[in-house]
Amino acid sequence: MRAVNLIARRELRALFDAPVAYVATAASLLVLLSLFTTEFFIAGRLDLNPLFRWLPAVAALLLPALAMRLWAEERRRRTFELWVTLPFTATELVLGKYIAGMAIWSLFLLGTTPAIALLYSLGAPDLGLICSGYLGALLLGSLLLSQALFLSSLTKEVVVAFLTGCAGSILLLASGAPRLVAVLDGLAPELALGSNLAEHLSALVRFDAFRDGFIGLSHSAWFIGTSLVFLAANAWAVRNIRD
Amino acid sequence: MIRAEAITRNYGEKCAVDSISFQVSAGEVVGFLGPNGAGKTTVLRMLSTYLPLSGGKLTVAGHDVSAEPLAVRRSIGYLPEHDALFDGMRVRAFLKFCGEAHGLDAATLSARCSQLVERCELSSVLDQRIGTCSKGYRRRISLAASLLHDPKVLLLDEPTHGLDPLQVAAFREHLNILREGRAVLFSSHVLAEVVGVCDRILMINHGKLLLNEETEVLRQRASEAGTDLEGLILEAARAPRAEVSS
Repeated sequence: MRAVNLIARRELRALFDAPVAYVATAASLLVLLSLFTTEFFIAGRLDLNPLFRWLPAVAALLLPALAMRLWAEERRRRTFELWVTLPFTATELVLGKYIAGMAIWSLFLLGTTPAIALLYSLGAPDLGLICSGYLGALLLGSLLLSQALFLSSLTKEVVVAFLTGCAGSILLLASGAPRLVAVLDGLAPELALGSNLAEHLSALVRFDAFRDGFIGLSHSAWFIGTSLVFLAANAWAVRNIRD
Repeated sequence: MIRAEAITRNYGEKCAVDSISFQVSAGEVVGFLGPNGAGKTTVLRMLSTYLPLSGGKLTVAGHDVSAEPLAVRRSIGYLPEHDALFDGMRVRAFLKFCGEAHGLDAATLSARCSQLVERCELSSVLDQRIGTCSKGYRRRISLAASLLHDPKVLLLDEPTHGLDPLQVAAFREHLNILREGRAVLFSSHVLAEVVGVCDRILMINHGKLLLNEETEVLRQRASEAGTDLEGLILEAARAPRAEVSS
């Protein structure tokens, strides 16, 4: 754990050494809170639904932007060689970087607390629903970050890392979008392709359950398990991919 | 300290290092010579555990690089060809990070840092971000970082690249201090530099070991042949497929 802690601290500091983390996090937060405020007053309901509805789209852009810095940038700057010749295992390296990324994601979520304050200033919102939504947001962030980290470790081109990370995130989210599910089901009704994809691959369907206040063990296990698969793949890539 | 037995490294169809064997003992500074693209960096990268072997057996400080990579990394100080430095970090923080990565306690780390900062003349840039340091400083920062944990084996890939003549001279003096109790493998394509500081010379070209001989023996052989040491080594390099290893 000492090594993981050391790596995470170094990475967290490094993320904030460059303006990309500040700019990306602040801009994403601003966009998300603006969207929330607009929809919240139109909907006229005392919940965070508008925030959680837009959160996956923001995460699909923000987390790949963080992940591209965590591996692809290291490979481009040749500091990857330093990392893998220091006495750290690939698992420690991946966990350290993942924890740094999750710390920023948590800070980002913390930045959305003015929305909760707004709810409380207007009445008595359902705290359980808020907590369930935030738990889902943490798990969704974990999944999107770990897949973007894995894809970032495969290339030394930061733009490629960002775009593939976004594409991966969109795939995980859009596979559960009702319109896409309907279109795919319509294309091949006997295969029920859209429904099958939504059932097995979609992070959005599972996140929506959390947003609606349903903390299911199977959904939590799916998020954690899938994140672990991506982290394991990331460790494999760190051990085996060399320039 | 370093024992390479028929080590091979392939990149797809291309053989970058072709079954070479050599040893480096404690207290010995061995120069690793060869033209650009000869395979020197590949060998050093295998020794540092960065690259896996395609064949053969390689042990560093008694640890097999394939089976015990972590133990090998703890035993080596590795100065890569291109400075692998975190540009956004300040020099002091970077040295601290490298020391902590090697598990040094605060007191030892502080003492080692002070010693190396003085020896590598880094005091003027200690609070500067690495990205703003000149090439010579960056090289010295890398060297200081590779020495922090007092490694038994030093792997130096083109250590004087980017240094001015005064810094090169200082580096040579430094190397004489460093050699005590350590195995030093020092790659360069500058013949005079290697001849000046090394006890033994390895020469590699096209991935094959062409020469593995003590500098004194080579000097003697050169004088018998009526040439100088550099001439003798160049002759060996020009006969790329004839192995001259001892």
